[in-house]
Amino acid sequence: MYRKRAVIKAIATYLPESVLTNEHLSEEFGDWDAQKIYDKTGIATRHIAKQDECASDLAVAAAKRLFDKQICSPIEIDFLLFCTESPDYLIPPSSPIIHEQLELQGNCGTLDYNHGCSGFVYGLALSKSLIESGLSENILLLTGETYSKHINPKDKSARTIFGDGAAATLISSELLEQERICSFLFGTDGSGAGQLIVPAGGMRQRSTAETGLEKEFADGNRRSEQNLYMNGPDIFNFTLKVVPKAVKSVLDKSDMEIGDVDYFIFHQANKFILEHLRKKIGIPKDKFYLSIEDCGNTVSSTIPIAMEDALRQNKIKSGDKLMLVGFGVGLTWAACLVNL
Amino acid sequence: MKRSEFIDGLKEVLQREENLSEDMALKDIGEWDSLAVMSFIAFCDEHFSTQINGENIQQCKTVSDLIDLAKDHLED
Repeated sequence: MYRKRAVIKAIATYLPESVLTNEHLSEEFGDWDAQKIYDKTGIATRHIAKQDECASDLAVAAAKRLFDKQICSPIEIDFLLFCTESPDYLIPPSSPIIHEQLELQGNCGTLDYNHGCSGFVYGLALSKSLIESGLSENILLLTGETYSKHINPKDKSARTIFGDGAAATLISSELLEQERICSFLFGTDGSGAGQLIVPAGGMRQRSTAETGLEKEFADGNRRSEQNLYMNGPDIFNFTLKVVPKAVKSVLDKSDMEIGDVDYFIFHQANKFILEHLRKKIGIPKDKFYLSIEDCGNTVSSTIPIAMEDALRQNKIKSGDKLMLVGFGVGLTWAACLVNL
Repeated sequence: MKRSEFIDGLKEVLQREENLSEDMALKDIGEWDSLAVMSFIAFCDEHFSTQINGENIQQCKTVSDLIDLAKDHLED
């Protein structure tokens, strides 16, 4: 039956200019050389926002690149979603500020949502809901992150893995018979909230002189309670527990087998975890996106950045069935099928 | 899997050429870093379909302690 369906029309991305190389990390921390960092992590560079450059600025830049493609003009956008864990302010939300900078029309809705690694897939679910319920025609879904601002300069592990970046995705309404974004699966495990966290600076624990004190940890990294903390092993275990089941769930909802999916794009957390998951689930290498070489883990932007790259390299094309799986901070996860 | 095979597996996890003995202290093994912990978790997941808790690994002091984490899945 012909109905309004949400369709992904275009993606554009933006990475800040300043680059952190493995050579620089090696000079600063000394124990691993640049080649070893690359071999172990699959990352060559990460892009880092300037002091006065916020996640919202990166998102604005990505959105401008999207509008440059001339698939849609700013005045046609009737809803703006902004996913970030690094808002400009606690109050007000950042999306009205972005709206102003992009000169969107007045009767456009705006909404910030605080989400990370699974944020893009959650954003697709929100977009689909707004469009297919008739509340919106053209949605600008923005993801933007600057984990570099939360990471302690002396935390080698975190600085090695995370990069800053943003993506802008246009999702529009089309009258179609079949759903184009479907088979959603959501997941939450709040018991793991402390495994990827900036402990101080929110309402639960305000920033104080004490929370700003740096401590050194067994792994040699230094951080304060106002810095990002990540428990790698526990997060890895979490992914082993939930990701294979999430993939199976989407396949069941779509009445498909693994072989029916043309391409899989997982949140690009780290090369090691992704390779292990790929083998565990049984996805062939040529159907699995794995590349964090240029930008590291950009949190909520990894999936749209991967999609843009895969499209550019002709790894995916119109008509393909794509499975997207996001997982991480919260702990949360979400997966869906996209008929491109 | 035999205990000796597990130790061979550990050597590979650590990407280490020299031998490993059960009484070796982990802090003396240069290759035992945060990535090695992840590789160890992956190894146990792959071979025993079991997830080893990060905190339990943190509490291990020797190679023998690591083997004990997987002892329910080892033959001897």
